[in-house]
Amino acid sequence: MMRLFSQRMQTAVRGSLTAVNRNMQPAAATGAARFMSHEVQETDEEFDARYVAYFSRPDIDGWEVRKGMNNLIGMDLVPDPKIIIAALRACRRLNDYSLTTRFLEAVKMRAETNKDIYPYVLQEIKPVLEELGISTPEELGYDKPELALKSVFDVHG
Amino acid sequence: MALLRVIPRKATPSVFMQQVARLHNIERDKIGNREVVGWGINGMYSYVDHIAFPMPAIRFKENSPEIMALKEREKGDWKKLSVEDKKALYRASFCQTYSEMRAPDGRWKSITGWVLFGISCSFWIYIWEKLFVYPPMPDTITNIEKRQAQLKRMIDIRVDPIDGLSSKWDYENNRWKK
Repeated sequence: MMRLFSQRMQTAVRGSLTAVNRNMQPAAATGAARFMSHEVQETDEEFDARYVAYFSRPDIDGWEVRKGMNNLIGMDLVPDPKIIIAALRACRRLNDYSLTTRFLEAVKMRAETNKDIYPYVLQEIKPVLEELGISTPEELGYDKPELALKSVFDVHG
Repeated sequence: MALLRVIPRKATPSVFMQQVARLHNIERDKIGNREVVGWGINGMYSYVDHIAFPMPAIRFKENSPEIMALKEREKGDWKKLSVEDKKALYRASFCQTYSEMRAPDGRWKSITGWVLFGISCSFWIYIWEKLFVYPPMPDTITNIEKRQAQLKRMIDIRVDPIDGLSSKWDYENNRWKK
């Protein structure tokens, strides 16, 4: 249901991502096979299930979590709270806190199309945030700019 | 320092892997002590802040003792981390937050200024052209009697009789329609 505002595009990156074959990206489920285009049409539930399974893998590593998040945020949709929760738990397994804040900021960016989406998402993931001790970007003060970047024209004097 | 050969010898997998290894070493020299954490945009060890691409290939800051100590505490309970700790962890991995990436930078002011300056330059150039380049207008334009004669001819030959010029002329009474 979070994808009401989206056009779905399949994760296009398959095949070897580095010299070591990291072909662990969730492969598209074979849904209805009667469409002409190469794109496999899958339902929202299949998409959600695929990503939840991807992030829930117990031995996932930082490389794959980041790849999954980058792909997910690159798509024109707001991830379902189930997927967000699975991703946050994956960050906990990796002992990487900054990933959670970055991911929540990215989700907030994606949820801008409708101002009711982000509060809904926060409400749905609140139990997990409290369980894992994750602060939202607002609690850290990152909903407003904190630091400014030095102008490129001032860098080399 | 052409470390990638232009004409490779037989491109066996081991040659390829050597070249990959050399490239990675060059990259690693550029990033210093930073941890490589992902594929990034294209597999190079780059750091980019982009709203549609949240996780770059490397952490932002180099691993210093303070950051390593913080990472040890990160392995424990996150409820025990203070807000400053969490912010320090974020800044260790990332340069700008999303709000900072998207904050207005006031560039529109200088852009508008320069655009208006350019437009006014073109106006000055036109004035110079009018004064020094263009010959005087012909008398068919400057002489009012000649222009009236042209207008009369246009009405006589019924130019634009339906919606335009001649439709506004009253031929019965030889004057403009009221």
